[in-house]
Amino acid sequence: MRFVAAAIVLGAVPFLGLPAFYESFLYLVFHWVVLATSWNILSGYSGYFSFGHAAFFGIGVYTTAVLAGKLDWPFLWTLPFAAAVPALVGVALGAIIFRVRALRGELFALLTLAVTFVVSTLVLNTPVDGGPGVMLSAVSIPKLAPTVSGTFYLLSLVLALATVAIAYAVYHSRFGTGLFAIHDDEAVAEVMGVPTYRFKLAAFALSCALAGVAGGIYGVFVSYVTVGETFSGFVALYVILMAALGGTRHWLGPALGAAALTTLLYVFTTSDYAVAGRAAMGLIFILVILFLPQGLLGRFAHRKALPRRNAPIPSAAPSTKNMESILVVRDLSKAFKGVQALSHVELDVRRGEILGLVGPNGSGKSTLINLVSGHYPVDSGSIRFEGRELVGKAPHRIARAGIARTYQIPRPFPHLTVLENVALPPMFGQVVMDRAAAEAEAWRWLEFTGLAGKALLQPQHLNLHQRKFLELARALASRPKLLFLDEVLSGLTPSEMNEAIRLIRAIRDQGATIVFVEHVMRAVMELTDRVVVLTYGKNIAAGAPGDVMRDPLVITAYLGAAHA
Amino acid sequence: MLEVRNIRVSYGAAPAISDVSLFIEAKDLVVVVGPNGAGKTTLINALAGLHPIDSGSLRMEGRELSRLSAHRYCDEGIALVPEGRRLFTSLSVKENLELGSYRSGARALRAESMKEVCAIFPVLEEKLAAPAGTLSGGQQQMLAIARALMARPRLLLLDEPSLGLAPGIVLELFRVIREINARGVAVLLVEQNVASALDIARRAYVLEEGRIVAQGAPQELTGQPHIQRAYLGLHQEMQ
Amino acid sequence: MPSYTLLGQSALSGVFIGALYGLLGLGLTLSWGMLRQINLAHFALVFLGAYLTYQLGAAGMDPLVTLALIAPAFFLFGAALHLLLARFKVNALNTLLVTFGFMVMLESLIQWIWSADFRRLESHYGDVKWKVGELFVPLPELLTLALACGLALAVWAALRFTDLGKAMRATAEDAPIAAAFGVNEKLLSLLLSGLCAAFAAVAGMCLALSHTLAPSQIYAWIGVVFAVVMIGGLGNPLGPLVAGVVIGVSEGLTMAVTAPVWAPLVSFSLLIAALLLRPEKF
Repeated sequence: MRFVAAAIVLGAVPFLGLPAFYESFLYLVFHWVVLATSWNILSGYSGYFSFGHAAFFGIGVYTTAVLAGKLDWPFLWTLPFAAAVPALVGVALGAIIFRVRALRGELFALLTLAVTFVVSTLVLNTPVDGGPGVMLSAVSIPKLAPTVSGTFYLLSLVLALATVAIAYAVYHSRFGTGLFAIHDDEAVAEVMGVPTYRFKLAAFALSCALAGVAGGIYGVFVSYVTVGETFSGFVALYVILMAALGGTRHWLGPALGAAALTTLLYVFTTSDYAVAGRAAMGLIFILVILFLPQGLLGRFAHRKALPRRNAPIPSAAPSTKNMESILVVRDLSKAFKGVQALSHVELDVRRGEILGLVGPNGSGKSTLINLVSGHYPVDSGSIRFEGRELVGKAPHRIARAGIARTYQIPRPFPHLTVLENVALPPMFGQVVMDRAAAEAEAWRWLEFTGLAGKALLQPQHLNLHQRKFLELARALASRPKLLFLDEVLSGLTPSEMNEAIRLIRAIRDQGATIVFVEHVMRAVMELTDRVVVLTYGKNIAAGAPGDVMRDPLVITAYLGAAHA
Repeated sequence: MLEVRNIRVSYGAAPAISDVSLFIEAKDLVVVVGPNGAGKTTLINALAGLHPIDSGSLRMEGRELSRLSAHRYCDEGIALVPEGRRLFTSLSVKENLELGSYRSGARALRAESMKEVCAIFPVLEEKLAAPAGTLSGGQQQMLAIARALMARPRLLLLDEPSLGLAPGIVLELFRVIREINARGVAVLLVEQNVASALDIARRAYVLEEGRIVAQGAPQELTGQPHIQRAYLGLHQEMQ
Repeated sequence: MPSYTLLGQSALSGVFIGALYGLLGLGLTLSWGMLRQINLAHFALVFLGAYLTYQLGAAGMDPLVTLALIAPAFFLFGAALHLLLARFKVNALNTLLVTFGFMVMLESLIQWIWSADFRRLESHYGDVKWKVGELFVPLPELLTLALACGLALAVWAALRFTDLGKAMRATAEDAPIAAAFGVNEKLLSLLLSGLCAAFAAVAGMCLALSHTLAPSQIYAWIGVVFAVVMIGGLGNPLGPLVAGVVIGVSEGLTMAVTAPVWAPLVSFSLLIAALLLRPEKF
C-alpha cells in the first residue's frame, strides 16, 4: 500500500508547477529505472547476462520513430508496437540461442553484444534510418500534464511504476523462483520440473518489451534519433552497472542503482568534468564488483516466507506392491568421451518395491539415474515409465511424470533457503501448486526429515547429513511415484543411518516406489525387496538380496578374483 | 620418513578428517581403507599439498611441510596419483610424462626416467604421441602412475587406483604397485577394494568418519569387526 | 564487377587488417584461454600504447624504440591487473565486468590527455610503399604482418615445445594437479598476464603506424577481435591470426563488391554462427 501512496505522490508532481528541469531530470531517472529493472528481469534473476539491452531499446526507439515520425501515427498508439517488436525479435533470437545447451554466461554476454552490432548496422543501412537519423520534433504530444516535460514525466513514471511492479510480482511468483533456480543450477532446476527453456524465453520477451517502450518514449523525448547514440555501448553497460550496484538479486536493486547513478552522472556531466565523471563511473564499477558483488540490496534479497501452514498428511496409498513393472529399461547404453559407462542395460522396477541398485564404484549406477531423470541424454535404448517412453523427453517433463531423484553429492540451490529448495518441486511437479500451497507442502516434508528448524537458512549452513536429508526432502516434496536415492546414507553416523532407514521405509509405505543406490550393505540387506547388481556398465545379477550377494560373480566383482 | 601427527582438515565449517596420525617408513607399503565419505581422498590431498591443513604437523624426513605452497611438495619427494587419474588430456602421453618430471631435480634425469617407466609400462611406449584422453581406463591409470614416477619420488601416493577398472586389470595394477615398492619407492595406497589392498600391504590403517579407528598388519585387521562391518555386510554369508 | 586489381588489393588489405586483428587477439586469447580472464581493458591498453607511440613519435622517437620502452611498462601493468583479479578470486564473467571498468578509466585518461580529436602518427615508415606486380604493399602494414606472424608462431612454438609452455597448458587444464608436479601456477600466470599486456603494446604500435587514432575508436574493435578470438579457438595463439585473415579478406572483398557499410556484418555473423554451432569449444 506504500506503493500506491508513492505512486500518487509522484504522480502529482507535474501539477505543482515546478521548473521543467526537475521534470526532465526525474524523467531520466525513471527512464533508467525502467531500463535497468527490465534488464534485471532476465539477466539478474536468471543469470543470463545480456550485453545487448541497447539493441532492444534501440528497436523500440526506431519502431516509434518510423511509425510516428515517418508514417505519422499518433504517438501513444506506437507504444504497444514499441513493446511488441523488440519482444518478438527477442523471442526469435532466444528460441535459437536458448536451445544451445552449452551456452554459458560469458558466451551469452558476447552473443548479445554481437546482436547489438548487427541490429545497429541493419538499422543504419536500411530505410529504417538510412544514415541521417530520424526527426521526431513534429510528433504531436498528447496533453497529459500542464507542460510537455510534465507529460513525459508522467509517461515514464507510469512505465517505471509498472516495470517495478512487474519485477516485484515476478520475484515473488513461481516464475521468479524458477528463474532464480535456473540462475543457481539450471540443470538441476530442469530435472526438478522447471521448464527452463520456456521461462528464459518469457523473461527475455518481458525484458525486451519493457525496454522497447522506454525506447519509444525516449525517441520522442529527445526528438532526434541517430543510430550512433541509440545503440551506443554505454546503454548496455550502464544498465549492468546500475543493476549490479543496487543488487541484481533484488527486485528493487536496479531501480535504486539507476536512481543513484543517474544522479551521479548528471552531477558530472553538468560540471566541466564529463571525462572525469566517466572515469569515476569506471572506478565505481570496479569497486562494486570487487567489494560488493551482491550490490547494495544484496543482503536483503530473500523472499519472506509465507506464514507457516502444514499441508494435510496424505492418506497412505493402498499397498500396491504387485508384479507390475512401473519402469522398464531396455538396452540402455551411454558413453562419455570414449568410456562406456552403461552397456545394453536391462532393468525392471516393480510398483511399490524397494529395489537396491549396487555395484562397485564406477559401475554406472549414478549414470543410470542421470539417464532416467533426463540429466544426460541417452545414446541408445529405451526407458518406459508407466508405459510411456521417456527417452528424448525434456527433463522437466520427466519430473512432471512423477520421477524424482536425489544427487549423490547434494546439489541444493545455494541462494534459495532450505524451505524454498523443498518448495520448488511441488511448484513444478505433477500437481502444479502456487507458492502458498507449495510452501505448506514443503513444511510437511521438512518436518518429516527433521529439518524444520533450519527451514529459513541457506544450504551452506547445513552439515553433510542435513544436506543429504535436504536432498531427500526436496525429492519427496513432489510426491513422486518413482524415487531414485543416490547414496543418501554414505557419510552418516550409525544412529543417523537408522533414522534414514526408518524414513525410507515410511516413504515406501506412503505409496512410492524406490530405487535405492547404496554401498552400505547393511542398509541394502535390511531395506530392499530385490537387488540388481551393476558392474562396468552391465547388469550382472538380479534377485533377492541374500541370493544375489552370494552369487560368485557378484563377490568377484566386489572383492576381487582372489576371494571368489 | 613421513610423519603425520594429529592433523585436522576441513571443507568450510565441517572437519573432514580430525586428529589423524600415521607414519610411513622408507620403502614401506601402507594402505588406508575406509568407506565412502570417510575422508580418504581428503587425507591424500592433504599429504600431497593440494589441501591445506587446519592444525597438526606433517613432516617429511624431519622437515615440516604444512607451511609450504602446493608446488613445493613435489621437491620433497612426494608424488601423487590422484583419484580419477586427472591426466592432462589436452597433452600427449609423452607430454604428460615430461610434465611429471617438471621439477628441477627430476628434469635432469628425464631421459633415464622415461626409459625406466616405459620398461614398467610397455604399452605407454607405443602410445607416446597419442593425446592422453584417447587411452583406455586401464592405460590411463598406468599413465597416471608413470607420470608420478617421472618425478622420481621417495613416496608415491595413490588414491583409489582401481576405481572403475576390470578385475583383470586390477590384478595387474597391484602387481605393478608391488614392483614399484620393491624398487625402493615407499607407497601409500588409499583403496576401497579392501581385499586386494590388504593383500599387498605391509601395514594398514582404517579410516572411518575422518578418524583412524584401527591400524596394524593386514592379518590382524581382517579379523576385526570394523573391516567386516564396513564392507562385507555379507560377511556372515561368506563364512 | 570490380577489376582483378581492385579485388586483389582489397584481399591484400584484408590480409593486413587480419594480421592486425590477429595481433590484437593474441593477448586476449591467451588470457581468456589459459587464465579464464576476459580482459576488456586489453583494448584500451592497445590504444594507450598507440597514443604513446604517437606522442613519442611526435617528439622524434622511432616507433620501434618506443616499443622497447612501453612493452616492459605494460608487462608490469598486466601482471598487476592479474594480481588484483586473482586476489579477489574474480570469476570469468566478473573479470569481464571489472576489466570493463578499467577500460572506461583508461579511455577517459586517453581522452583527457589527448582529447577526442583525431591523431595521426607521422613516421618515416608510413612513407615507404612497395609495388608487387599490380599491388601496393605499404611498409607499416607489412611490418604488422611480420610481427603478427612472428609473435603468434613464437608463442605457439613455446607452448608446444618448451617445458614452460607445457606447464602453462597443463595449468590451464588442471591447476592443482600441475602444482602437485611442481608447477608454480601463480608465477606462471603473472608471467603470462604481463606478456599479454606487452603484446598489447606491440599491437598499439602497429595500430599507430597504420591508423588514425581517436578514443571512440576503441569500441569499434571489440566486436571483431572477440570474433576472431572465439572463432580461432580460445588459447590457440595462431587462431586469431588465421581467423583474422579470413575475416579481413571476406570483409575486404565484401567492401569491394558491395558497399563498405556491410563489412561489420560479416564478422559478427560469423561470430554468432560460431557461438551457436560450437559453444563447447569455449
